[in-house]
Amino acid sequence: MIEQVLDELRRELGAVGIRGRFRRRILVESEDHLRSDPEAPARFGAPHDVANAFAAELGARRSRRAAVSAFAALAVAGAVYAVAFVGASFAGVPDPDTFPILAVLAFAAIVFAPQVAFVSGVLAVIRALRRREPVLPSAELRVINRRTGLALLSGLVTMGALALFAFELRSELAGWWVTFTFVGTASASGLLVLAAVPGIGATLLRPQVAGEAGDVFDDLGLGRTGPWRFALLIAFAVALAVWAAGTVQGDPLDGALRGLMEATACLGGFAVFGRFLGLRR
Amino acid sequence: MVEELRGASEGAFDLAEGTVYPALYRLERAGLLKSRWTSLGGRRRRVYRLTARGRAELARERKDWKAFAHAVEVVVT
Repeated sequence: MIEQVLDELRRELGAVGIRGRFRRRILVESEDHLRSDPEAPARFGAPHDVANAFAAELGARRSRRAAVSAFAALAVAGAVYAVAFVGASFAGVPDPDTFPILAVLAFAAIVFAPQVAFVSGVLAVIRALRRREPVLPSAELRVINRRTGLALLSGLVTMGALALFAFELRSELAGWWVTFTFVGTASASGLLVLAAVPGIGATLLRPQVAGEAGDVFDDLGLGRTGPWRFALLIAFAVALAVWAAGTVQGDPLDGALRGLMEATACLGGFAVFGRFLGLRR
Repeated sequence: MVEELRGASEGAFDLAEGTVYPALYRLERAGLLKSRWTSLGGRRRRVYRLTARGRAELARERKDWKAFAHAVEVVVT
């Protein structure tokens, strides 16, 4: 009877993604418990429920840690990006019309990928820190893990694109900028890959906990309204800010065009990633 | 421990014993419990004890619970 329960528990722990040293500790301790008295196996509970209880606790903790690690690595990548972006003005970037095709593609990624990385990374850490319960619904864990994963992936794309941009234009850009960009992007990419390890650990767990994931209003703690109305409001605010920046720089028409593009990208992002990232239900 | 809980609550808290371990691990990670293997009658056993922080936390939670339970009692009676 005891061996049967332990075998089943071993299988169930594996099925929810708990393996290795932690599974061994659970099994040793469970065996100790099961042998404590003849009635213990009957009172132990279903192995499926015990394994799920462990996975639920571990899942919440790992997802939270993965989101925070990703945010820290993205902060470093963000600093490299900011220095490279500001430094580029002094490094002699040639006219965009003369960019080789790979540099054009890299430039497009340099503009959009960091925005996705920033938004999903911030949303991941906000959701992870707002939900402090020891056990979270599986749907909530999926949202946190997806946000973390997308943030890291976009961060890596940004670093890769920045390095590619520097490589493609290396003969025309200042040597110090190219060197800094190569070293900075390589270091930040290493950190992003390291930060992905806890994220992978979190996604390997498969607890089954009932309940819904929150949405963007839970993240921001704002009053609830229609999700699309909220997205439109944000897109309008972004467009206004970009237009204002263009006006300050003396080119309101260019500012308006860029504002329109940003607002469209904002709404497009909400349409494409809204459900995937748990922004709307 | 589960038996104590079952007895003290007159059967109201009848937990499956295996599901208590995740909570014990969590409390241990939080530094509220400490555990070690020991031998009792030739059998290995994992013994959990409250740490000083755990005792302080327990006292605080107990106080909070009493205040909450008293408030609910006053409202519903």
